[in-house]
Amino acid sequence: MKGLVIWIRTEEGSDESIMDELGREIKERGGRVEVFHSEAIENLGMEKNDSAKAVACAMLASHGVVVIASGAENPSINPGEKLEIRIIEESDLHHTDIHDSFVRGLELAGLVPPPKYYVHPDEEKEILRKLQDLGYLEE
Amino acid sequence: MLVPPHGGRLIDRQYEGAEAEEIIKQVKDCKLLTLNAREKNDLKMIGSGAMSPLEGFMPRADYESVIDLMHLFSGPVWSLPVVLSHKYGDPEVSTGDHVGLKDIEGTIWGDMQIEEVFEADLMAEADKTLGTTDDSHPGVMYLKSLSGKYIGGNIRSIRRRETESFQNYRLDPRETRVLFRAKGWKTAVAFQTRNPIHRAHEYIQKCAMEIVDGLLLHPLVGETQKGDIPAEVRMRCYEEILKDYYPRTRVAMSVFPAAMRYAGPKEAVFHAILRKNYGCSHFIVGRDHAGVGNFYGTYDAQVIFDQFDPDDLGIVPLKFEHAFYCSKCGGMATPKTCAHDGQYHVFLSGKKVRAMLKEGILPPPEFTRPEIAEILMEAARKGDN
Repeated sequence: MKGLVIWIRTEEGSDESIMDELGREIKERGGRVEVFHSEAIENLGMEKNDSAKAVACAMLASHGVVVIASGAENPSINPGEKLEIRIIEESDLHHTDIHDSFVRGLELAGLVPPPKYYVHPDEEKEILRKLQDLGYLEE
Repeated sequence: MLVPPHGGRLIDRQYEGAEAEEIIKQVKDCKLLTLNAREKNDLKMIGSGAMSPLEGFMPRADYESVIDLMHLFSGPVWSLPVVLSHKYGDPEVSTGDHVGLKDIEGTIWGDMQIEEVFEADLMAEADKTLGTTDDSHPGVMYLKSLSGKYIGGNIRSIRRRETESFQNYRLDPRETRVLFRAKGWKTAVAFQTRNPIHRAHEYIQKCAMEIVDGLLLHPLVGETQKGDIPAEVRMRCYEEILKDYYPRTRVAMSVFPAAMRYAGPKEAVFHAILRKNYGCSHFIVGRDHAGVGNFYGTYDAQVIFDQFDPDDLGIVPLKFEHAFYCSKCGGMATPKTCAHDGQYHVFLSGKKVRAMLKEGILPPPEFTRPEIAEILMEAARKGDN
């Protein structure tokens, strides 16, 4: 699978939990994911700015990993043979339909695996109830 | 784990309740295109995921790739076009238009984002998909009734449960998949027919049940041609036979809402792919599956599967010869398993059965279970078949 940097554009100092949520979702699909928190750049001994962070993310992603990072500016890196970059506003990720369509777009582009389930677990409960009502399954 | 849907993802573009109301509101000021009966069925089946990976009516690239190569432009095997025709009297539309989709009564069934409007050579389509341009083929006649202009694009469909027949048997692919999992089936075989169940069908189904976890009886209830036994009668036959002759835990029955295309071998592949989306790992292909008249060879619908890589198809066709009762064997058999002459075989054509019923004669129990024969007789008396 081609490497991917998902760059979430955020306000300075905003909560990074949205990156963890997106990372969890892609991991559940079977994707190899690294969530690149702001402190990681310091741990790497690199300068703490968005450009350095973007370069580090690109290097990591080029090994076929989905790297999720955030920053106030667009990342100063370019896509290549082994690397795709997708940018999304943090505020958009809070809208379920935009979030779903963003992830679906990644899936269609072959950048993240399709979901492992074909029926959402919440929907499955409803269906089981219907199947019981119709007599397909015992209560 | 059940077989994955065709193309890897089960499409969900079906809406009901408040979401459906929202779609209706959105298309209020849009141009409306008319669906014929087949297209209405197709719209619903795309929406429910039965036609995954299709997300709409085919644009030209898919259409041409399917009729020429039996693959979607993106790669997956697909044997028949699923298209929306522009109707005489409908408004002109073009790429980028958002349109509503209505039936001839004016009821809205969904919407569509138009990707492409294109001209098609319908007789070339008939030749390539049906193998004929003969007017006596119902599929050819259907194509001749169309304008020759197709409209491709992604759809959203509206589910109107209140209008559906066989409501207790309407299961979408998501629902059959949940059902199979709940029953603990890892493999399931689908059986489709547009005929009432006879001993030969029962024999074939039970042979298949020996090698898989469960059987999905999936009678087709979409549009068929005159002369076919009505779906209501066929369903009554199935309900009756399920009472006493099948183990409850290993069989489920649901209706298959597709319209018949009578495309023989290519429709057999089409039917198999759709059953894969319902979660079936195997599909029974009998003699002259989806055939009509003498347009296709007896085993064409079986042979066609040999040209696909099994992994690309993703569902295993179980090919059966015609079955009969052999008085010498003392049981059901096929030419593969019976060593005796035809004089010992009890087999009746559909035409012969209809003639017997018309004369008030019940088909023999070696051909049809008595309970089924009674239902067919009653239907014949009422003029249902």
